[in-house]
Amino acid sequence: MSSAAAETKSQVAAIGEKYKYGFVTDIEMERAPKGLSADTVRYVSAKKNEPEWMLEWRLGAFKRWGEMKEPSWARVHYPKIDYQAAYYYAAPKNTPLKQSLDEVDPKLLETYKKLGIPLSEQMALAGVAVDAVFDSVSVATTFKDKLNEAGVIFCPISEAIRDYPEMVKQYLGTVVPVTDNFFATLNAAVFSDGTFVYVPKGVRCPMELSTYFRINASETGQFERTLIIADEGSYVSYLEGCTAPKRDENQLHAAVVELIALEGAEIKYSTVQNWYPGDENGLGGIFNFVTKRGDCRGARSKISWTQVETGSAITWKYPSCILRGDGSVGEFYSIAIANHYQQADTGTKMIHIGKNTRSRIISKGISAGKAHNTYRGLVSVLGKAENARNFTQCDSLLIGKECGAHTVPYIESRNPSARIEHEATTSKIAEDQLFYCLQRGLGQEEAVALIVNGFCKEVLQQLPMEFAVEAQKLVGISLEGSVG
Amino acid sequence: MTALPTRRVEEWKYSDLARALGDAGFGDGAAKAVATAPDGVEIVSLENGNRPAWVAQHYGKLPANVVSAVSLAKAQGGIAMRVRKNVAVVAPLVLNISGEGHVRLLLVLEEGASLTVSEHCDPAATRNTGFEIVLGENARLDHVRLSPASAVVQVEEIALLAAAGAQYHSHFASFGAKLSRLEIMIALEGEKAEAHLSGVSVLATGHADITTHVAHKIKDTHSTQLFKKVAGGKSRAIYQGKVSVAPGADGVDSRQTAKALLLSREAEADLKPELEILADDVKCAHGAAVGDLDADSLFYLRARGLPETEARALLIHAFLEDAFAGVASDDLREMVRGTVNNALDGIAI
Repeated sequence: MSSAAAETKSQVAAIGEKYKYGFVTDIEMERAPKGLSADTVRYVSAKKNEPEWMLEWRLGAFKRWGEMKEPSWARVHYPKIDYQAAYYYAAPKNTPLKQSLDEVDPKLLETYKKLGIPLSEQMALAGVAVDAVFDSVSVATTFKDKLNEAGVIFCPISEAIRDYPEMVKQYLGTVVPVTDNFFATLNAAVFSDGTFVYVPKGVRCPMELSTYFRINASETGQFERTLIIADEGSYVSYLEGCTAPKRDENQLHAAVVELIALEGAEIKYSTVQNWYPGDENGLGGIFNFVTKRGDCRGARSKISWTQVETGSAITWKYPSCILRGDGSVGEFYSIAIANHYQQADTGTKMIHIGKNTRSRIISKGISAGKAHNTYRGLVSVLGKAENARNFTQCDSLLIGKECGAHTVPYIESRNPSARIEHEATTSKIAEDQLFYCLQRGLGQEEAVALIVNGFCKEVLQQLPMEFAVEAQKLVGISLEGSVG
Repeated sequence: MTALPTRRVEEWKYSDLARALGDAGFGDGAAKAVATAPDGVEIVSLENGNRPAWVAQHYGKLPANVVSAVSLAKAQGGIAMRVRKNVAVVAPLVLNISGEGHVRLLLVLEEGASLTVSEHCDPAATRNTGFEIVLGENARLDHVRLSPASAVVQVEEIALLAAAGAQYHSHFASFGAKLSRLEIMIALEGEKAEAHLSGVSVLATGHADITTHVAHKIKDTHSTQLFKKVAGGKSRAIYQGKVSVAPGADGVDSRQTAKALLLSREAEADLKPELEILADDVKCAHGAAVGDLDADSLFYLRARGLPETEARALLIHAFLEDAFAGVASDDLREMVRGTVNNALDGIAI
């Protein structure tokens, strides 16, 4: 058997695994009182020993949030969220600052081991530095010393607020303003942790940085906030992964990610989102409302988003690029898979402000079961964006009679020298492709996994290697039970 | 009174109707429609309360957007037209719409009937036209609509229902207004029904919005949309095109293309091609592009001795020609070409 065929076989074997991250870790938790009020905000802030200015910032956000309406324009339907019925802070008990992994609760380490996340130093070989966020707090950050040597700051954002307040003040909320949207404002009020990265001038970050998000506690929302700053001429690649236990309830996840690339800097941000998607009857699953935005502030800077969205009952997410610097580049590569009753409304915005800015959007949406998958995007070229270029390709694949695929691109141009191209197609798996595979001895599901992986290839190629392998498997698992 | 849409309403994002109209609204005039009809077309005035059964059966029955609902409620005049079963009308029906205010039109083609309509919009007055078209089985309608450059607000909403095997071929040429919008909602309800839409917008100034919805409600229905825009001066060209495919509507084939050329630093083009697909065995594709003329083509022509402006003009004409080449009637195609050429003469290229 050729190695390609063997790989396909092993991928397909993985299909039987279903959602393998659905377990719960029994660990003693400390929670904020249920519900959301100014006191909750104060509680979170106090738990984090935050300075006064941060509390003010949060309270301001909370006040504005109270005046905002939940958006309803996306093509997602869900029961009204009771914002008072959730816990806004949950943390494993006894989490004083850890000096090394030995001090971390072994149960937590066990959890991450089950998830396949390399927290221990022996994973140095993998060359990935990890910040693990368990419910509301960061539990471990690896490889701090090595990163310190290079001058890279990689730490929980709660720590950054204490240790680098000037830098946080300078950048926090400058890409996603406090009042950007309902969910971002909620996040600004109650975010409990997240990741902070600063890469100094001219530094190429010596390893991939990675954060692993895990929702564990029930009835808990997770609100993390990530801030990445790449100073002039620097480079950083950042990976993010997410899972949650299987539960019949819907849990809210509302994150904010802000990226800032200064002159000549490059940020590569990859996500494999595998929150619990709910069961095959649409019960449970994570409501994922995420605001991600990158600002190419300097000339010739570059921000590249790659996402593999397989989880969550609801996905509402539009990682975007503001191409402010002349010659800056924005990229968005996406695979969104929705099966059973999942609903995904995702896409990007590329705002061309500077001259000679370029953007590229490749989106692959796959719908199966009774799921709906929407690509929603905006390419906007402003008046001064001479010679701006955009290329967009949105392909949708439908598997089954009851699912839906939707494409809603907005194209706005105000500069005559700009060139924007958009293409979209919708199709099902071609009978002849399927026949070809079956004839050569592949089973139905193996054949589908193979064809779908081919359909997604352009995006999978953009992922760092360890993630690409994981993502390929996920593609198969997510479509389990969708054919035949 | 029903509130008119502002740009806060998503479908009207690029056309703030309430703002363009201001307090005066559409006015209280009695806009009218006059049809010069060849033999075989029956015409009834809608002013007369005593309407024949076929009018009562269809009038005001098709789905309407908010603006169309206003014309239905407020229009005092208008006409209803009908072509009876299996009657093929060869000469075009010329439809002139003029005056201020609201006006309604109804066109019914019975089973196997065919007709060509040449619609002209008088640019002088602020107007809201509501047009309902019902196509019986295997009927065929060719529709060419010209809306000349205007300084006021002119909107028209067309709702169309196509039964099995019916065909609708249309071309919409618009040349801008303070706010101009043509919105067409097509329901392909019978198998093998087809809708082929095309249009050009040539703007020296002003605003032109063409919004199309094609709903493939049943299997084996086909549609194409081809829209080309040239925007010069301080103008705004808009195309919003939605194609939806209902559950179970297998064998649908839909293709949509929208392209815009910006000829001035103050011009803007907004394109929104939209797909909503609920069946799996379909072929749906759309493409959209905004940009300048192709540099290679320009170079090719200039290398053969054409001055730049001439070379550009040639390429712009070719770019637009594509969209009206499909008009079936030679006379009407020439009419569109003539109007397009005139409009291009008024734009600095």
